[in-house]
Amino acid sequence: MTNAISVSGLVKTFGRTRALDGLDLTVGTGEVHGFLGPNGAGKSTTIRILLGLMRADSGKASLLGGDPWDDATDLHRRLAYVPGDVTLWPNLSGGEVIDLLGRLRGGIDAQRRSSLLERFELDPRKKGRAYSKGNRQKVALVAALASDVELLILDEPTSGLDPLMEAVFRDCVAEEKARGRTVLLSSHILSEVEALCDRVSIIRGGSVVETGTLVELRHLTRTSVTAELAHEPDGLTGLPGIHDLRVEGNRVSCQVEPAHLDELFGRLAALGLRNVTAAPPTLEDLFMRHYRTAPQHEVAR
Amino acid sequence: MSALTGAGTLARLIVRRDRLILPVWGLLAAVFPTSIANSTVALYPTAESLRSVAEEAMANPAQLATRGLVFDASVGGLTAWTVGSSGAMLLGLVSMLLVIRHTRVEEESGRRELLGAGVVGRHAPLAAVLGVVFAADLLIAVLMSALLMSGGLPAAGSIALGLSLAAAGWTFAAVGAAVGQMTESAVAARGLGVAVFSVFFLIRAVGDAGGVDWLSWLSPLGWTLHVRPFAGEQWWVLALLLCLVALLVAAARALSARRDLAAGLLPPRLGPATAVPGLRSPLALAWRLHRGQVVAWSVGFAVGGLALGGAVSGGLEGQIDAPQIMEMIARVGGEDARPVDFFVNYLLSMLAWIVAAYGMLSALRLRSEESAGRADLVLATQVSRVRWALSHLVIAAAGPAVVLVALGTATGLGYGLSTGDLGRLPQVLGGALAYLPAVWVMTGIAVALVGLLPRLATASWGVWIAFILLDVFGMLGQIDETVLNIIPFVHVPWAVLGQMSTAPLAGLTVVAAVLTALGVVGLRRRDLV
Ligand SMILES: Nc1ncnc2c1ncn2[C@@H]1O[C@H](COP(=O)(O)OP(=O)(O)O)[C@@H](O)[C@H]1O
Ligand SMILES: [Mg+2]
Repeated sequence: MTNAISVSGLVKTFGRTRALDGLDLTVGTGEVHGFLGPNGAGKSTTIRILLGLMRADSGKASLLGGDPWDDATDLHRRLAYVPGDVTLWPNLSGGEVIDLLGRLRGGIDAQRRSSLLERFELDPRKKGRAYSKGNRQKVALVAALASDVELLILDEPTSGLDPLMEAVFRDCVAEEKARGRTVLLSSHILSEVEALCDRVSIIRGGSVVETGTLVELRHLTRTSVTAELAHEPDGLTGLPGIHDLRVEGNRVSCQVEPAHLDELFGRLAALGLRNVTAAPPTLEDLFMRHYRTAPQHEVAR
Repeated sequence: MSALTGAGTLARLIVRRDRLILPVWGLLAAVFPTSIANSTVALYPTAESLRSVAEEAMANPAQLATRGLVFDASVGGLTAWTVGSSGAMLLGLVSMLLVIRHTRVEEESGRRELLGAGVVGRHAPLAAVLGVVFAADLLIAVLMSALLMSGGLPAAGSIALGLSLAAAGWTFAAVGAAVGQMTESAVAARGLGVAVFSVFFLIRAVGDAGGVDWLSWLSPLGWTLHVRPFAGEQWWVLALLLCLVALLVAAARALSARRDLAAGLLPPRLGPATAVPGLRSPLALAWRLHRGQVVAWSVGFAVGGLALGGAVSGGLEGQIDAPQIMEMIARVGGEDARPVDFFVNYLLSMLAWIVAAYGMLSALRLRSEESAGRADLVLATQVSRVRWALSHLVIAAAGPAVVLVALGTATGLGYGLSTGDLGRLPQVLGGALAYLPAVWVMTGIAVALVGLLPRLATASWGVWIAFILLDVFGMLGQIDETVLNIIPFVHVPWAVLGQMSTAPLAGLTVVAAVLTALGVVGLRRRDLV
């Protein structure tokens, strides 16, 4: 089995809302896959279908070689899940929840448990109702990371964590990856996905609009170029593949499609380059390109 | 910014959020007395017949316990007697739960924080919800009085009845305000509030059934009855109730001024850092979640059974001279049935409704676990849906059994202590346990709704209320026998009187099992939402 998750043509509607509209997603075994999209794009719905908590209207989904609905209990032995909005039992302590979930999953590594508690600076004696959102998330994270599973499904796991804890989280995911575990990480935090993920799928309006490694995705995008020239620039406007051109005196900034880099630099060189920076697109740029055209009716769930 | 800034806006928000519950509840509460009055007129057309009902009621200690004394043998007097206690419960409990819903629940969910950051004064949320609930109670009173008057009842009595019930609403709204400030969780606040209500109810019930007048005067639920609508109204008792309301609101205000947002008075304790070895299955988790309720309800029913059982049977033997009641006893229990057995069984038949409510509450836990998202956490592990559901349902089925054992044993003890005949205890216990299959049917209705129509799960309470109303009007002879048969409780044999037919019990058990199975199958097939 080379693919931990493979989904094709998934459709799910809630009344008149079409939450998933022919979604395709493939996550290879051992890969950390970023599942990126704005609120209401359908990330959580996809994940809940993969977990057998919901059934798709149509389309195919396979998880660890099994059917997410029919084989749910067997598959769940091999995965751990952190929901996007963790609610705990008000009268159970965090430590109790971690142990319980670990045991229900088939065992928990006591040593890992205590080291994770320490790293996340989590007091396991507090009762569920006393935790903040971030701390509830930590409880679910520790429970998931401390169990011995093949696949981690994390739904926006850092949305309540402060930057320090986010860094701890990144280290943990990197370790999981090093152990050969597969991770599906849904997120709208770009830097996180950029730092952690081997491959990314961008979802919008219920379908994946782009998928690939970061290198591949960057390939599709423009490079930002800023240059200082010896002479007043002219004749740049007519060049193909140039966007957002701005000229201030001898300074030029623009975005250029990969196929037209040669022409641009040829022309800039002719004008006398004094200083130049060319930055690869950040995931942010990628993301914004898809968001800018996002339909209006998509609102946060 | 004053402490009340934003109260008006919040009040509008409350009205908007409860735009369905408020009118339904209000109409139900306002119409209820009038329909009782109409039934009374139809059933007892002569002064003679009215007098004999009144005598019968005064001779039945179980009636005295649940409804209190009959102050006047007139249509108005009997109406006030019939609705006085249940109306106070309907207005009181609902008012209390509404107040908790808009104070503690809001804080617990963190929504209050969202508002607190805006321009909202410290006491504004409390003031807003009390304002809305007080106004609703008053509106209900006005509507109720108008309806009663238009039905031809005396104005003074109609107004007094309306106001006495509104006063019950105000009192327990204020209780809700106070307990909502004390505890940190909404569940605990509701539990504490219901406990306060039950204790006051019990004090009044024992006082009235046992003929200890001063006891009834220790309970605000006794006060509302002692306003005596249609029986020489005692208006000053209303002033007494108002003083209590003012006191409670002042207390709630003081508490709210002293504590932090989201905190309670009672500081939260730390829990264990690791789970005990036994906490490793969905059943263990369910038991952990339900055990507090099992214990609390059992203790509550044990205390109630002891007190009511004692009061109802106390010094009763040989005192009955109302021929109608002897006739009724003979009809239900045969020629040689003992009145005291009849009354004790009557009492159990009333309390069984509350045990059913407990069973339903436990089953609905499935739904609240689901909608809170906690079910997701468990179901994403190796636990299957059916196993998860059954772990809660085992306890929802066994919990009422434990509670009924506590009730039956305590009632039998109370009976034995006041009659000197402890030998009847097994029979009383049997009488209580006979209600278990019917309670399971009610629980099964809740399970079926959770499984098949999850968004309508709380409609279970509608079914419960509808059955109670059917039962009340059925007793007044207003409803066809065949319709009454849908109420599970009418099929339960009166075991204290020695009736022990197993067929209806088996039938009820089968119905309960089918309903439960339907619910579980539905739950297995549907999306979790
Ligand atoms: N249980 C539900 N009932 C109705 N609509 C839902 C439900 N769950 C999700 N949706 C809708 O489906 C869409 C996708 O939601 P979701 O998967 O939660 O998005 P994301 O996790 O990417 O923010 C949203 O428009 C949301 O409103
Ligand atoms: Mg989501």
